[in-house]
Amino acid sequence: MNHRRLLAAVVCTGLFVLAAVGASVSQGKSAAPAAPSGTITLSGWASSPTETRLLREVIRGFERTFPAIKVNYAPVSGDYPAAMLAKFAARTPPDVFYVDSNVAPDWIKQRVLEPLDTFVSKSKLKTAAFYPPLLNGFRGPDRKLYGFPKDWSPLAMQTNNQLLASSGVAIPKTWAELSAAAKKLSVPGGRAICLSPSWDRLLAFVYQNGGTFLNAAKTRSTVNTPAVAAAVRFYVGLITSGVAGTPAQLGVGWCGEALGKEKAAIAFEGNWVVPFMADTFPTVKFTNSKMVRGKQDGNLAFTVSYSMARDSKNKPAAWQLIRYLVGQPGMKTWTSKGLALPSRSDVKPVAGRAAFIAAAPSARPWQFAPAFTKVIDVANNELTAVLEGKQTIPGMLQKIEQTANDAL
Amino acid sequence: MAIDVARIDQVDRSIPARTPGERARRVITYAILLAVSALFFVPFVWTISTSLKSLPETTGFDLLPDNPSLRAYREVLTEFDFLRYAANSLFLAVTITLANLILCSIGGYAFARLRFPGREVLFMLVLATLMIPDQLRLVPVFVMLSGWGLVGSFKGYMLIKLVLATNLFFMRQYFLTIPRDFEEAAKLDNAGHFKTFWKVMLPLTGPALAAITILTFQGIWNEFFWPLLLLGFGDPSHYTVQLGIAQFRFQYQTLWPQLMAASVIAIVPIVVIFLFFQRYFVAGVVASGVKG
Amino acid sequence: MAATAPRQQGTLGSARLREALVGYAFIAVPMGIFLTFFIYPLVYSLYISRYDWGVFGKIETLGWENYREMWHDEIFWRSIKNTLLYTVVVVPVEMALALSLAVIVNAGIRGKSFFRSSFYFPSLASSAAITAIAIYILSADGLLNAVVGGQRSWFGDSDTALWSIAGLNAWTTSGTMMLFYLAALQAIPTDVYEAAAMDGAKTWRTFSRITFPLLKPGHFFVSVVAVIGALQVFDQAFIVSNGSGGPNYSTLTAVLYLYRTAIADVRFGYAATIGIALFLLIFTLTLIQRLLFGKAETA
Repeated sequence: MNHRRLLAAVVCTGLFVLAAVGASVSQGKSAAPAAPSGTITLSGWASSPTETRLLREVIRGFERTFPAIKVNYAPVSGDYPAAMLAKFAARTPPDVFYVDSNVAPDWIKQRVLEPLDTFVSKSKLKTAAFYPPLLNGFRGPDRKLYGFPKDWSPLAMQTNNQLLASSGVAIPKTWAELSAAAKKLSVPGGRAICLSPSWDRLLAFVYQNGGTFLNAAKTRSTVNTPAVAAAVRFYVGLITSGVAGTPAQLGVGWCGEALGKEKAAIAFEGNWVVPFMADTFPTVKFTNSKMVRGKQDGNLAFTVSYSMARDSKNKPAAWQLIRYLVGQPGMKTWTSKGLALPSRSDVKPVAGRAAFIAAAPSARPWQFAPAFTKVIDVANNELTAVLEGKQTIPGMLQKIEQTANDAL
Repeated sequence: MAIDVARIDQVDRSIPARTPGERARRVITYAILLAVSALFFVPFVWTISTSLKSLPETTGFDLLPDNPSLRAYREVLTEFDFLRYAANSLFLAVTITLANLILCSIGGYAFARLRFPGREVLFMLVLATLMIPDQLRLVPVFVMLSGWGLVGSFKGYMLIKLVLATNLFFMRQYFLTIPRDFEEAAKLDNAGHFKTFWKVMLPLTGPALAAITILTFQGIWNEFFWPLLLLGFGDPSHYTVQLGIAQFRFQYQTLWPQLMAASVIAIVPIVVIFLFFQRYFVAGVVASGVKG
Repeated sequence: MAATAPRQQGTLGSARLREALVGYAFIAVPMGIFLTFFIYPLVYSLYISRYDWGVFGKIETLGWENYREMWHDEIFWRSIKNTLLYTVVVVPVEMALALSLAVIVNAGIRGKSFFRSSFYFPSLASSAAITAIAIYILSADGLLNAVVGGQRSWFGDSDTALWSIAGLNAWTTSGTMMLFYLAALQAIPTDVYEAAAMDGAKTWRTFSRITFPLLKPGHFFVSVVAVIGALQVFDQAFIVSNGSGGPNYSTLTAVLYLYRTAIADVRFGYAATIGIALFLLIFTLTLIQRLLFGKAETA
């Protein structure tokens, strides 16, 4: 009996000692930062089958580097904003996900994104390599960083090699040259230029004429100004004079298709048109050139970030993933097929993208202020009204200005 | 009062054409009908033909592919877990249709033939549910289901689709058209309410049940919005057929051949269901009951 | 069948009570689902419409400010106008088409099954395929223009965009409505037709004097469902206009505007306001239909 009690006492003491040691060991561990581990979810939309494949490759590389972290890649193949908002509201968001620069102001304002500055400083990450306009596109009004741009594309000018050659037209560089070239070009069954009747192209021309949509502080709309009006007149003029056509007029869905079906010799699209043409219209040869300039260079940057959810349950691991994905090796891999342009200046894009990269200094992110989609919808609708002759340009600009100021 | 399947297509209420004028009218009618049918078939034919093309070819509208190939089908079935998606959709469609058949017929009967206080108000409430757009319900419903842990599994989706107001509404209308003689007869036999419903009224609703079966099955099979929200983030093993098809849509392009191939595979079960159940639209079931 | 003496049910009152209880029991599960997943969100929307409501809830109390904004919102009224115009056109076309198809298929023609199946087919094909085909056929150099001539882009021209959507939807939903009408037609006893034939009534007369009126519950159903559906049109408007409701606001439907406000602008409170307004509109119109056509049904 005594032996048993003694044994029990020894065992208990032993256990106690083990526990204490274990506690101190783990305490010791938590004194130094614990290695991130666990399962995190990465979400976004699928922009192309190849990119999805490349992204999976990058994720595998990440999991090899950080064996304790498992990434669950769950892209949404449908209504991304609706699905994400529902998840945010239910407080079960993915840990890392895509944020389009267009919705960034709203999602930042709604406080669903986690500011990354503390992570950046703790990891001593250098952000200088990222193109400033892109990085700033994901800064909130508090100047905190809410995402890292994963890639981007500005607009460039695509010209059909054969159609330009047969009309003896050189690639235009300025507005004047553009008009002249358009008049000279003959495109059987189509028009010289394809222009999309929407502000996500028109705004680039506005910037080229020195105009802006909002003032720098984003408190007032500057759309009803002569500089903007002149740019709009130029853009609309090309269409109404017949040298340019909208996709609808040309019988296609967008200008990329017009380029492919050779219904237009000139189009203004981003880097996405390159893989599209290669897959769908491989026989049409075209050239990417730098965007035309008006009084100055002006361009739009369409960019998407990797952001972290404020309600993420595993922020350290999520941060590691973001850091890896936008680090040099990660970005290099999925931009290696030329489907997107790297957002870092120290990662070279594939060949033939010089025309796009050249726009980096003058490109402004395609975004405005929170709750601005209605204003852009109004802007686009007014533009189509002008093109149909049902609205005047001054009337349109006044309408847009009013709606914008109401929203601000 | 079983539906006499053998009699289905033998019912012929036509008045035989007598005069040449009537005969000519018949020919014209058939011609128009055939033309219209052909028109209605065009989307399906185009779907099949696109699935046999290669991507650059799909930009034209030729009904016949140049080099028909089953490559898209192979890709859909091997690289993507399409058969599993189809099985998922099948499971959901069958269970939800069964639930609807039972719950909507019994509910429709109650609204049509039973008297209880507040019946009309409650019925307007049922109709009211049809007037609330999905987009408005999106966030509250999702937050609710998420809070109950029903997102990501089939349970949440099945729960919100157990009863569809359209079906209940339709069953009520259908019960209203059945003459009261049947119920009177049942009452004389001392049948209780449930027995009256189950043994007498329900068997008379063959065509209505067939319609609901077809429409509910097809509705669930083709639905995208709610499955995307409730099943689309988790395990792809829970995807439905439409979510699977949507995987071929990308931001700047759509893989049309694969998408159409997947759509064709997806259509097969609905066609089967339709062809099977449409035979239940039998004439004269009700009439034969009155005398018997 | 041996006649048994009617069981003593007690007083008439308890029979009524039993009937009422059975009635409630029969509708319990459906009402439960409807209350939880439909009525509760509606009440929730009513609540949040009085606030500036974001993803995580209340941002600012606005009282009736949202309603005031909506009242002065030109875009909102435009969306309502579009939706009403669309409904007024689509519903009669849908109903006429569906009824014609059902009558044709129901009559004694050869190949009934074949026609029945083929008319139903557009409803079977996936919405993605149908919309893609429609966009192709109705493009500036598409099939329709090849047939009727001209160069207009049907979805890209503000005069025709909404009507093109109407035509497309009428066509695709006709198969579904046809099934409902078919079932309703089946419920009409054949002796009715026999009696009419014996009286020498010709087919059109039989149809208009006998069949059509007997279909009243069917009409009511189809018209109510069609109107409710039409007032909530969204998918095609979204796809065709890329979400903007263009060109020139022509495809901006009420639900599209609601969707943009909620999802793109993340203004759940204002979206709820629009939703409530739309609900009231649909409810009123349905009530009117009920009063006009629903009289045939007294149970």
